[in-house]
Amino acid sequence: MSTTRAYDAIVIGGGHNGLVCAAYLAGAGKRVLVLERRERLGGAAVTEEVFPGFRFSVFSYVVSLLRPEIIRDLELPRHGLHILPLESTVTPLPNGDYLGQWADHDQNRRELARHSLRDAEAYDGFGRLMHQMARAIKPFLAMTPPDPASLAPRDVAGMLRLASRLRGLDPQHFHALHKLLTMSAADYLDEWFESGPLKATKAASGIIGTFLGPRSPGTAYVLLHHYMGEIDGVFRAWGFAKGGNGSVSGAIAAAAREHGAELRTDAPVARVLVTNARADGVVLENGDEIRAKLVVSGLDPRRTFIDLVGAAHLAPEFVAAIERFKFRGSSGKVNLALSELPKFTALPADGPHLRGAISISPSVEYLERAYDDAKYGQVSRRPYMDIVIPSLIDPAMAPLGKHVMSCFVQYVPYNVQGGWTDAAREAFGDTVIDTLAEYAPNIKSTILHRQVITPADIERIVGLSEGNIFQGELALQQMFFLRPVPGWAKYRTPIRGLYQCGSGTHPGGGVMGASGRNAALTILRANA
Amino acid sequence: MLKPTPFHPRTVALCASHAWRRWAGYVVASSYELHHEREYHAIRSSAALIDVSPLYKYAVSGEDAARLLNRIVTRDVERSAIGQVLYTTWCDSDGKVLDDGTIARLDEHALRMTSAEPNLRWLEDNASGLDVRVEDVSDAIAALAVQGPSSRAVIQPLVDCDLSALKYFRITAATIGSVPVTISRTGYTGDLGYELWFDARDALKVWDALMQAGNAYGIVPAGMLALDLARIEAGLMLLDVDYVSARKALRHEQTSSPFELDLAWTVNLKKETFVGRAALAREAENAPAWQFVGVEVEWDALERLYAEARLAPQLPPTAWRMSVPIYAGGEQAGYATSGGWSPLLKKYIALAHVRSRWAAPGTPVEMEITVEHARKRAAARVVKKPFFDPDRKRS
Amino acid sequence: MSSHAIVIGDDIDECVAAQYLARNGLSVRLLHDRQAQQPRFLQTGWIAPQIVRDLELSAHGLSIDQRDPWLQIELPGGGRLELTRDIARSAEEIGKVNRHDGARWAAFCERMHALATLLQAMYAAPPPEPLASTFAGRFDLARLALRVRGLGRQGMTDLFRVLPMSIVDLLDEWFESDALKGALGTMGVMHLCQGPRSGGTALNFLHHHAGCPPGVFRQPLSNVHGVLRALPGPSMLEGRALRVIVEGGTVEGVQLATGEEIHASVVLSGAHPQHALLDVVDAAWLDPELVRAVRRIRSRGVTAEVTLALDRDPGFTTLTIAPSLDYMEHAYDDAKYGRMSREPFIEARYAGTAEGGEHPVHVHVQYAPYAVQDGTWDAERAQALGRTVLDAIAAAAPGIVSSLVDHTVRTPQALEREFGYPEGQPYHAELALDQFLWMRPVPDLARYRTPIRGYYLCGPAMHPGAGVPGAAGMHAAHTVLRDLRTRK
Repeated sequence: MSTTRAYDAIVIGGGHNGLVCAAYLAGAGKRVLVLERRERLGGAAVTEEVFPGFRFSVFSYVVSLLRPEIIRDLELPRHGLHILPLESTVTPLPNGDYLGQWADHDQNRRELARHSLRDAEAYDGFGRLMHQMARAIKPFLAMTPPDPASLAPRDVAGMLRLASRLRGLDPQHFHALHKLLTMSAADYLDEWFESGPLKATKAASGIIGTFLGPRSPGTAYVLLHHYMGEIDGVFRAWGFAKGGNGSVSGAIAAAAREHGAELRTDAPVARVLVTNARADGVVLENGDEIRAKLVVSGLDPRRTFIDLVGAAHLAPEFVAAIERFKFRGSSGKVNLALSELPKFTALPADGPHLRGAISISPSVEYLERAYDDAKYGQVSRRPYMDIVIPSLIDPAMAPLGKHVMSCFVQYVPYNVQGGWTDAAREAFGDTVIDTLAEYAPNIKSTILHRQVITPADIERIVGLSEGNIFQGELALQQMFFLRPVPGWAKYRTPIRGLYQCGSGTHPGGGVMGASGRNAALTILRANA
Repeated sequence: MLKPTPFHPRTVALCASHAWRRWAGYVVASSYELHHEREYHAIRSSAALIDVSPLYKYAVSGEDAARLLNRIVTRDVERSAIGQVLYTTWCDSDGKVLDDGTIARLDEHALRMTSAEPNLRWLEDNASGLDVRVEDVSDAIAALAVQGPSSRAVIQPLVDCDLSALKYFRITAATIGSVPVTISRTGYTGDLGYELWFDARDALKVWDALMQAGNAYGIVPAGMLALDLARIEAGLMLLDVDYVSARKALRHEQTSSPFELDLAWTVNLKKETFVGRAALAREAENAPAWQFVGVEVEWDALERLYAEARLAPQLPPTAWRMSVPIYAGGEQAGYATSGGWSPLLKKYIALAHVRSRWAAPGTPVEMEITVEHARKRAAARVVKKPFFDPDRKRS
Repeated sequence: MSSHAIVIGDDIDECVAAQYLARNGLSVRLLHDRQAQQPRFLQTGWIAPQIVRDLELSAHGLSIDQRDPWLQIELPGGGRLELTRDIARSAEEIGKVNRHDGARWAAFCERMHALATLLQAMYAAPPPEPLASTFAGRFDLARLALRVRGLGRQGMTDLFRVLPMSIVDLLDEWFESDALKGALGTMGVMHLCQGPRSGGTALNFLHHHAGCPPGVFRQPLSNVHGVLRALPGPSMLEGRALRVIVEGGTVEGVQLATGEEIHASVVLSGAHPQHALLDVVDAAWLDPELVRAVRRIRSRGVTAEVTLALDRDPGFTTLTIAPSLDYMEHAYDDAKYGRMSREPFIEARYAGTAEGGEHPVHVHVQYAPYAVQDGTWDAERAQALGRTVLDAIAAAAPGIVSSLVDHTVRTPQALEREFGYPEGQPYHAELALDQFLWMRPVPDLARYRTPIRGYYLCGPAMHPGAGVPGAAGMHAAHTVLRDLRTRK
């Protein structure tokens, strides 16, 4: 049996956004089929038993940005989502000291005061402002961006609403938002803090997924983007999904299935069928044709339009605009299976610091130098790392008494000089371990296995172009009504019946699910 | 991981209740005994020893020290006398209160500021162009309050100066044993009392000397519960409880001006400049929208409400800190922020923000109370603060 | 009406402001500090036509030199690339280097010019007020919105995309040739402590294109400063302002370093806001949040100047050494950590014979960070900088060596000393998206007024400031005049 059963919608890609979109569509009564190329669902949000007994959130590894309305609408907790708190960030320093940021206000203030009394005082004000900014921006996340160049009443009304919302902000907040959109993370943080490690650790969230240094304008926005995480109504709360990030997609998939969506793995799509400039199905790599009233792609814009649709069906300006969309993956991942816990020189005992994030970001200059290497095509000799040990939070992730450690690493350029050979991958792995060993000298003897993932691996395995974790850089010129392409930022495409729902659309990545939801709502409005 | 105060070795031994609470990142006793009642009565009838070290303290020195503080606070610091202590608020540029505390003029060019929240950054950022040094001495200086009618008698034998000559809101240098201390005739209880400031390394020596000297007078170490009740009786407000600092407010409506906190007397508009002056000058021309008042619940009304539920009146066992609606004329007139049963006055009292039209003493209002899980409104009236104001406080 | 005004400083903006005030009946004194201010030989930047017209500068001998060719570079494989305002000819020249790039030149020029024209219009008025609540303010906003819409889909897309971009990303979208991209890219980092890969450098590029003819990406030179100084009207007063006198929140005058007090109901300062507010005004008059914001204004100087004295014509009118964007990025890498670029970007300009018959060549050198790591700009460092520049120029134009009579080096610290550029930054506040339009230099000062009644700012730190000399002076003067009218 090959072709005929007709679906209302086919969703290409079983990543979290594709699944969210499918769940909403199915929930509205549509017959939905999700096609996933890999043998498992989840895209970059997967948990895999990479080594016997050791389970890893292989790619994305924390939750925070996942939109609370999705959690509520899809009843994800009932489908198995359990978010455990990740409460602290500790930055070990080369001099043997450390900087901790703790969830408890008093403990945090006391720790910061050890480094700078002024910063301890400024910290609350900074947090409050970021909270207010996140609140100010929140309505825009769930909004289908209006097209400023269009005269359609809907767009004009959308722009006016946008303008009045912005103008409705308190002047201080309006100006702060302007600054966050345009400044560098380093400059922005300089306005608040004086302690190097604190600025660097905060600035680090401004470079994640970008190919910019912390001193380049545009990074302050990414910093804010990471403050938009909201758990139980509290902004800037990060968590770890019990069972790894695969359980996030697992819960969404379960919700989608319950609503009647059909989820198929090992089903790579070869191309989108376009008849009379209208998408009406897909062809699988095995030649099967599946028809549907509409097709939704959760893949990034390049894969969707260049690979699956084909330039022949598209206007050359549109193709040029898609080709201009920047990916430039800059991060990699090293997953370690450990026989015992690492001992950090700064905090040698096992303690609460190991249950939070460990950030290798001793100074802004350190991050900037890491970027210098990358911009000329080298892996940072001393990279920024964000490390978590999930087995301390969820012991089921590793055999009893043993541990898994996840190291997010930046900068690891996709376009590395000499290309990503096996030797280059191992050298990158060694760089990470050597860097770690400077802060936790016992690390080498504790490693049982290691999995090294380069941007090229991310592209090959998950399908994210150039390994960009956000399906396209989160830069101001690629955001809101410019994401992915001006004029086509509303989840629609120049091909009728074809929609986009990946994080290559507004509001972007970080396991938010907002793109999938916004896309589904757009589709339902248009095809009620 | 909370900080112990310099007196911790003593307080931990005395704290039979094991009831501790946080104050500015320190851990302090809520009550030492199983019930705080005796500690409260010591404040009003003999003498109580209270560890107030967690206050933030700043040493401000240099040619322009008084000028810096004058730029910030609402009262006139430059015209204060050496040895004087000022209670004052300070505001942001919208004239909304950031914090309140005391400023002691130790010398022409040396002042000490106390506050509820950290203010180092604010002090430094306002020091543009001034010759001044600001040092955070919160950890370095320990502070003990000796409060109550016998407090003077307890301290006098230990020091070489004449305490009866030390007037209300004045400070003097003295020595206890070999420890140099400054003694200020101030406190947070509205009673006769003193506060002693000294090097934290000498903390235990001073504690021991006071406890020993106070023994005959029935001195009792008192915790936060007793202090809280006393300060409500004294009509003294507390940051984060009775008002929201403009620094922390998430919206303008949460902030208060000194006028709205019944602290118009601290605003000196004769000063040419200080932060928030322009806004306060504008506000002074009109009546403030809100007032901070005392509210006294009518006993008969309370008794009646409980009687309807076939219960005897139940009184709050400790001072409470929460937002309780106040009604008047059929609408919500405001909200009380702290209150409790005054064992001395035998009255149920509360501190409340009410819209100005309801703020005149004697105005009948209602306060929400919960009787057997049901919300009721108890008749009350606005009264003058402080609720308790003995002559000995100033004499 | 005999309002007395004092204008502190006598640079271009101050002179323009003084002229407008004097022509509107104010008695104006221009306070100049001989020690700090020396007239520059030639001034770079676009002079808004409005100023030329209003002050009749042409009749007073203004000459604007829009270089043509505006770009001359030596190509790595030998040969030279010369670009002129003739777009077709330039396209042909570029085509010889890279066919693809030549074919795109005309479209690039057109698209960039459309954006620059929008900027030009915004520079001709005080900054828009996005939060304006008055009718006039909202009207201006609506007009701006319409103007943006008038750009059409392509233009609007360009506007939103290009402004936050890096100049590298912008030029990579258009061109392939390193030489061309390098030479164009210099305008993206001009006087900016950022490298070409940093976001916002495309804005800087457009900013320096505003006022230029299409196809020209270098600002003109002019003698505007000399002409302005020679204009009658304001009386000149020599002295340094020690203090701005304030009574009850209103300006009363200026106290000079000599102790003398001069009274005036209006005072304008062209100085950097940090100086104009924090050094000469009692900070008690200022809101601490404003003080904080003013302290944070970024003004990191990154340029040095070298002047070569030659005994004959160098054979070029302009010479650019910026062979690629990576070259510039490397130059920035050094500066980022407080070192002089080992291989700086250099632009030399020859403007003809000077009065003494000499042939001066002015060289812009970037990056020379004002704050150098471990040490200061001592004589040794200045000499080394001079050598670096001479060697680089000699390599590009070997003929120059034998004609060199003398050379002088101005380090960023010398620029601060001699010309009063704070931190050696001639733009006072760096031109970045967060210090642009209503954010320039900080939101509360963007309308030229200060919290002190009668005291105004008019220098390059004000909109549009940097690179558009005189415009801030004009807008500030108009603001003063409007305030005087409504105050009555």
